[in-house]
Amino acid sequence: MSALEVKGVSKSFPGVKALNGVSMTMQAGSIHALLGENGAGKSTLIKIVTGIYQPDAGEVRMNGSPVRFANLRQSAAGGLGVVHQERNLVTRFSVGENILLDRLGKSALSRVDYPAIWREADKWLKLLELDVDPQTPVTRLSVAQMQLVEIGKALSQQSRVLLMDEPTASLTPNETQVLFRILRKLRDDGVAIGFVSHKLEEVFAICDRVTVLRDGQNACDSADMKGMVRGDVVQMMIGRAERITARAPRPMPSAPPLLELKAYASNLGHRDIDLTIRPGEILGLYGLVGAGRSELAKAILGLARQTGGEVRVAGRPVQITSVAEALHTHGIGYVSEDRKAEGLILMHSVLNNSGITIWTRLAGKLGFLRDRRVEAEVSPVLQRLELKTPSLQQTIDNLSGGNQQKVSCAKWIAAGVKLLIIDEPTVGIDIKTKAYMHDLIHELAAGGTAVLLITSDMPEMIDVADRIAVMDGYRIHGLVENDRNYDRMSKAIMGFIHGREAA
Amino acid sequence: MAQPFALGPTARLFDNDWIGPCIVSLIAILAISWFQPAFLSSFNIFVLSSAIAVNMVIALGQLVIIGIGQMNLALGSIGGLVAISFVGVMEKFGIPVPIALAFALGIGVLMGMASGYIIARTMISAFIITLAGLQIFKGINLGITQAQPFYGVPDGVKAFGQASVLGPLPWLLVPMLLASAGVWYMFNRLRIGRHILALGANPHAAELSGIDPKVTIIWAHAVSGLLAATAGVMLVAKLQIGQPTIGDDWLITSFAAPVIGGAVLSGGRVSVGGTFFGVVIIAVITQALVIFNIDPFAVQIVLGALILWAVGINRLREVRIAKLQSMGAKT
Repeated sequence: MSALEVKGVSKSFPGVKALNGVSMTMQAGSIHALLGENGAGKSTLIKIVTGIYQPDAGEVRMNGSPVRFANLRQSAAGGLGVVHQERNLVTRFSVGENILLDRLGKSALSRVDYPAIWREADKWLKLLELDVDPQTPVTRLSVAQMQLVEIGKALSQQSRVLLMDEPTASLTPNETQVLFRILRKLRDDGVAIGFVSHKLEEVFAICDRVTVLRDGQNACDSADMKGMVRGDVVQMMIGRAERITARAPRPMPSAPPLLELKAYASNLGHRDIDLTIRPGEILGLYGLVGAGRSELAKAILGLARQTGGEVRVAGRPVQITSVAEALHTHGIGYVSEDRKAEGLILMHSVLNNSGITIWTRLAGKLGFLRDRRVEAEVSPVLQRLELKTPSLQQTIDNLSGGNQQKVSCAKWIAAGVKLLIIDEPTVGIDIKTKAYMHDLIHELAAGGTAVLLITSDMPEMIDVADRIAVMDGYRIHGLVENDRNYDRMSKAIMGFIHGREAA
Repeated sequence: MAQPFALGPTARLFDNDWIGPCIVSLIAILAISWFQPAFLSSFNIFVLSSAIAVNMVIALGQLVIIGIGQMNLALGSIGGLVAISFVGVMEKFGIPVPIALAFALGIGVLMGMASGYIIARTMISAFIITLAGLQIFKGINLGITQAQPFYGVPDGVKAFGQASVLGPLPWLLVPMLLASAGVWYMFNRLRIGRHILALGANPHAAELSGIDPKVTIIWAHAVSGLLAATAGVMLVAKLQIGQPTIGDDWLITSFAAPVIGGAVLSGGRVSVGGTFFGVVIIAVITQALVIFNIDPFAVQIVLGALILWAVGINRLREVRIAKLQSMGAKT
């Protein structure tokens, strides 16, 4: 008998068949990978299983009997725990109260029995090897600890089936290892775990079965992962073999530096930052989450105060005090890692989002702006990026993550920036779009744009960057020329980071 | 994995929302009585405490809604309609005080529930729904009273509004204390209070955790309606008359006091103690301006400045805490 069984489930939305006869069987004591590119139907499937959507056809069974949940509350009550991609904790509340938030009392006016809550929560924290007092407010936890608290919350609802959507997206490699150890323990205790991830290395490290979706259909249904290799899975996901890193090291551009930082310091805590980026060069900035990379990008853009050192753009010393100045005077653009919060205006159209950077330039004498002029400028860029959208009037919110990311790059390309800072360009993006993004970055560089690439994805860094600066604790710890030999490069990079820890 | 960092004792003290407003109100009281000793006369303390008592219950009515991340613009019009209904049924139908009181509080709860139900059902912003409620309740009020007060307030009620319970302290402080204790208990110990704060702090997380947002929103507005009704009845006792204009001037105070007391308007963070000292600050400064013969228009300007100051302090504190946290995360 299977813990969770999906049989021939179909679901249509206006104009799209999101799922077409999809099946999946999750067994107790097994970690089951659910893979697929963005738009393949993973999220829709999870939403059907958890009761957010109702299937048009097919059925969901738990422990052999058919279930049909009307909403998340019912599916949780039915023993289905979900750890969502975004953090879902009330940060001002304690760890214990968050774990038991839906069981604080029988009725609205019940008194909350805190000692009982601390005791109950402590049980789950112990199980997860999380050495935290249940009375600690969630604000004081690290991201990884919050992640574990969410797992504890899902488990405490007596879940024997646990679905995890990209649980490692915001974890460092070390934290990921801790999480995996606990997942293995839960697996051995007989929990059925569903694992959605874009990181295939992790899937191979921890999953024993895999279901791959492609275009709303099964590319494989609950197959045994024994004997599979990365290429097999990628083949199923995208229908063609993954492009292997085959880029030759590019000749070092010899043009004078576009951006130079000398002994730069900021009020965010950066010290002694020395960096040089030449036109046409891709400089990678590697570091773990919290190393100060995005913060450096924001400091360069004028969002922090410079407290020491020197910044030169095209040889001239400058003080950038606002993003508007960075863009209009110096031609520096920034593709944010958080495209939903910082990169895009989700309620606005594709046209308005991609044209926002050139409005000032295109506006007529009286400040009038004509859609057609903006369209003429952005259309070629969007075509080059193979943006998939019904029209330029489409609201960004309705596009897939990959397409949204394309728009957030397009607006800077349209603006013709000389330096583009790209922060975590492929987080939560499928392999195909990822490859396009990488090609795009190379094309930009070949066209003479200087690129500062920030990413925590080591293969991506080694695939794309010309030189890699390693950052940790708001300082630069080393700089390596990238020869695209994965083992040598990753060793050198990790060496710089660990060198600091040992000291 | 990093251990959670701990705040030092000083930082923990200043993490309390009430400490800042408490210090400010003490300084204000000391400063004013230094220049004008009559400020601490029994009579003045009585007047001041009566104002504080009523305003605190008004502010609590708004605080409950701020906790859930909404606003209740209808607070005053609920209080006003309750006040005239309370006196009206006693004057016109000779209904005894306890039954009239239960009736008055009951319609306050019903009006709150009605707003809450429409907000929960339609998920239209509370701002708009309670703005409409404000107009409707006020319209009913004026339709009933024709803008004329009801005078038939029984002697017992009048005495309650003017008598002192202990030395210079008025009886009105008793319902205030009960309401404050009740709201504190709700936010800190009752399931519904925790749900209100969870929903205010992170609606998405609250809903995914199995909290029913609709039920919680209706509860919050019902409690707010009850507090507005209580304040309306208290004002009838204090003013000795069923004035149709009761509630017209509640709005600013109802927001100013919680905000001075550290509440975050987006929800999830409220302080009953902070709100109390917010009310005290407003009352003391308002009185001081009268004592020193300062133009009444200045009261409004000072109140506005106070709100800005409070919001600024809250902001500073958040930045400081965030900084502490990022330091804690790094070590």
